[in-house]
Parts: sequence; C-alpha cells; structure tokens
Amino acid sequence: MHIPDNYLSPSTCAVLATAMIPVWTTAIKKVKEEITSSKMPLLGIGAAFTFLIMMFNVPLPGGTTGHAVGGTLLAILLGPWAACISLTVALLIQALLFGDGGILAFGANCFNLAFVLPFTGYFIYQFIKERVTSERGEYIGMALGSYLGINVSALCAAIEFGLQPLLFKSAAGLPLYSPYPLAISIPSMVIPHILVAGFVEVVFTVAIVVFIKKASPGAIYAGPKHKIKPVYGLLAALICLSPLGLLASGTAWGEWSVEEIKDVVSGGQALGYVPPGMEQGFSFAAVLPDYTFHGLPDVAAYILSAVAGVAVLLIIFKILGLSKNKTGAYPDER
Amino acid sequence: MNVERKIMPAWLLQDENYLPQSDIDTYINKSILSLLNILAKIRRQDGHKPCQFYGHPALKIAVTLLLITLLSLSKSFAFVIIINVCLLAVLSLLEAEVIIKILKLSLAASIFTFIILIPALLLGNYYTSIMLSSKVLATVMAVNILSHSTKWSDLTSALKTFRVPDIFILVLDITIKYIVLLGEFSLNMLYALKLRSVGLNKNKYHSISGIAGTMFIKSKEMAEEMYAAMECRGFTGEYKVHRKFKFTVADVLLLMITLGFVYIFVYLGRA
Repeated sequence: MHIPDNYLSPSTCAVLATAMIPVWTTAIKKVKEEITSSKMPLLGIGAAFTFLIMMFNVPLPGGTTGHAVGGTLLAILLGPWAACISLTVALLIQALLFGDGGILAFGANCFNLAFVLPFTGYFIYQFIKERVTSERGEYIGMALGSYLGINVSALCAAIEFGLQPLLFKSAAGLPLYSPYPLAISIPSMVIPHILVAGFVEVVFTVAIVVFIKKASPGAIYAGPKHKIKPVYGLLAALICLSPLGLLASGTAWGEWSVEEIKDVVSGGQALGYVPPGMEQGFSFAAVLPDYTFHGLPDVAAYILSAVAGVAVLLIIFKILGLSKNKTGAYPDER
Repeated sequence: MNVERKIMPAWLLQDENYLPQSDIDTYINKSILSLLNILAKIRRQDGHKPCQFYGHPALKIAVTLLLITLLSLSKSFAFVIIINVCLLAVLSLLEAEVIIKILKLSLAASIFTFIILIPALLLGNYYTSIMLSSKVLATVMAVNILSHSTKWSDLTSALKTFRVPDIFILVLDITIKYIVLLGEFSLNMLYALKLRSVGLNKNKYHSISGIAGTMFIKSKEMAEEMYAAMECRGFTGEYKVHRKFKFTVADVLLLMITLGFVYIFVYLGRA
C-alpha cells in the first residue's frame, strides 16, 4: 500500500503532508505527556518492530504468502499517538533508505498508514472493548479494529489515486498522474484488502496480543479510559466525507455501465469499444446499491444513508453490550 | 571391537527407516530470506567507504527532493529524459556492484508501473503510461543514488539541519540500530523453529506469532536498559550538530547542476 512517487500530483502530496503536520505536533505533545522519558526509546524500537513485522511472511491459501502491517497492533501495544510516530519513522526509513514508497508521497503514505490505520483500528478496538466488556469483546474489538483499520487505510489510498484523473488533466484532457478513476481504483485497492490482507492483519494482531498477554501481561498500553468522543468525531467526519463517492458517479468519469462505455468521450473522441476487462464487470460496484432516494438531492441522500448505516451499527453494538453486561454498568458518556 | 559392542546399547545399532513427513515451510524460508536481506543491507552501511560524492548530506537531500518535485511537476517528456540521462551519468561513476543493484531496483519499479498502466494504455492513454514509467525510473534512481552514496548516520544528522524535532531523530536513530539487533534476534528464533520442526509440525503457525510476540517483549526490556545506559552517559534527549556548514567545491558543483536543472525545467515548461 506504499504509494510511489508520480502516482499522485505534487499538490495532493502537499495537501496530505500539511494535514499530517498537526497530527505530528499533537503526537509529539501527547507522547511527551503520556510516556515517561525513560520509555522514549520504546518508540524507536516500536518502529523497528513494525519494520520487521513487514518481513514476516504468513502463509495464505493458494500457496502464496503475505505480510501484515501491524499498525493496529502497535496502537494497541503502545497507544495510538506513539504508534503514529513509530509508523512515521518506519515509513521514512523505507522511503529514504530502501526506496519503498515515494519521497514526495511520504505525507500521503503517512496519512494512510501512520494516521488513518492506527487511529481507526485503535478507536474501533477501544469502542467495542468498552461496550462489550467480556474478554471475547476485547478480541472481537481487536479483530474488527485491525481488519477495518487496514481496509479504511486502503480505501483512503484508493480515493487519493482515484481523485487524480478527476483533478489533474493535461490540455488534451488526458490524466497526468494515476489514470484510473475512483470506480476502478477503489475496487482494485479495496477488494484484495477485504479478501486477503485484512485477514492476515487480524490473525497477526490477535495472535501476537494473545501471546504477549500470556507471556508478559503488564506490557500492553492501558490508554486513558472514556476516550469515546473522538470516535464520534471520526464517525461524523466519515459521514460528511461520504458524498466523496458521488464524485465518482456524479461526474461522467467512472461509473459507466458496460453499454455506456462505448460512448464515453475521452480526449475528444468516443472510446468506440468496450475494454475487454470491463465486460466482465466489477461485481463490487454492482453489489453496491444506489444510495439515492426519490425527491432528495444526491448529497443529502448519501449523507442520510451514511447516518443510517452508522446508527444501525451503533444500535447493534449497544444491544451486544447490554446482553453481556446485564448489571447495567454502562459507560456513562455518550 | 568387542569392547565397543559392550558400551553401545543395542537400540543404537538398529537401522531405522524414519522418513519425515513433508511439511509446507516455504514461508519460514521466505521470512528468513527477507530478514537476511535487510540485515545485509544495513550491515553494508557499517563498512561503508566514504562516498564518492563529497557533497554535504543536507544539501544532497534537498537537491534530491527538488529533483523529484520537478520531475513530478514536469509535463515535458524531454525534461524527464534529460534527468534520466543525467542520473545515468551519475550512476556510471559508482561501483559496478552498486550500479547493478540500483539499476535492478529502478528498472523493476518502472516495469511494474508500466504493467499496472497497461489497461490505461488500452484505453488510449499512451502519454500517461510512458511518462509515468520514465518518471518512476528517474525518481527511484535518484533516491537510491542518495541512499547508496551517503552514510545513513549522515542522513539523520542532516535531518537536524532541516529542524526536524529531536524526538523524531532519536526514534529514527534507535530504529536503524534496533532493526539489526531485533532482526538478528528473531532470525535466531526462526532458525530454531526450522531446526526443531522435523517432519510435520502443526504448531508452526502458532510459533510465528510467538516469535513476533517475544520480539516485542524483548524490545521493551532492551528499550528500558538502553535509556538507562544513555542517561548514565549524560544524554538529555537533545541533539546537537557539531559540524558547521562549509561550502566545498563539490557543494558548489552540485548547486550549479541543480540550477541548470531548474533552468531546463522552466525553459521546457514554457515551450
């Protein structure tokens, strides 16, 4: 998932790097507050740890092997802010010394892998852990957190790729950077992560945490409790961002049906044929319902369905928490 | 002969036909190989001869960054080709071994990009496909020339010149050193796992997570010990660069070449 240089426009890279600056400053401040100076080297060792985790190959069905990123794992073990710094350093070493991931795209890679990944994973883990207070709840949280963490991060990378042909075109109307629109970049990035990489991450995260809990129970980061508000902030932000999907369907680029693509005008002339790979169709796009209601503008309908989806999920988890926690010792903040 | 017979127990003298069951363990080999690869790369840095390009590391990083930005911004194919040729010229001054490594890496990245872009090529985006592949070739080459011609410890000290916060430099410094320490540590555990699983070992999947888990616990202990050691030697968490910035002939040359690139970029961008 390391984005190389030249796939993203320099302006996209600049925007994402700027977005990372407040994250980094906060991370440094938080880490200085949370971690005593005697534990500071742990951050570096954490970075070495993730770097090496990416070297461990796990067997996958079909005879191939894959490796985990360990972002959520690090966030659970060290806390999300420390994980952010450790992952940033690991990415810097990969980009500068091993040529893995771009130098200009460093900000973008940090945004996806050092910010979105550990924070999504950690907050989902924390959220479920506090709702479902049994040990099983914790493991479910870990599994879901690491699974969703890596998938959301892949989705971010896909959106960054997919926005390039919409935003940056040469005078002739041809894309300057990554040429694939959202409708192609999202399924091709996300499907492998949903099917394979997500599970590798889950297996690795849960297995290692279980091992460490057994071998050295005191070693796991116990974050400040009641950190629920950021989750709601994150959810709200995701809901507001959901109309991004409309960029793919609202503009002509991207969501043609197989019949339509023949007539798509690109670079001043109609395409005139159906690309063979597209004839089979992306089942992923076909599975998605339209998210539109009659009589509502598209953006509103999109946000509405996002709110509905989140609400349903929240209700499910609350009910799950209730059945596990009948005494009524319910977290008081909401 | 007779004496030996008395000492050797009978069961030792029997022929045994033990055929270990075959097991799938390529993934352990793969892990071992990728770890060894990384360790070898870092160790090479230790015995690194002083580099052929004597430019100041901070200047080299800045120039590389500028070059990559110009490449990424450029819409002129001629500019990309000029940079590629210049980088090849710089590359030709390095040692043969290094040249092979850098060429392998950058060609692989470039070909990989091209393969990814084949569907776009079919859609008629010839320009993007060829442009992107050659830009990737130049970028990967530039970064690898930087990484091979500069000591990594110099790179971290260059970061201080760029006013990167101390905490990042500390973490970076420790990371590079501990990749080696922890890598060797887990390598030994992987060897142990491989040696001890004769035949079919169903617990191996379990052991891999055990290795990673032990690595974490070990690293936690090491971190505490190291900080104590650093504090004893008077480390306060602040980094100071003692070397003063002095312009050498190499630096001036590097700057002039860079200015030349900027000029070409502007000139070709106008046309």
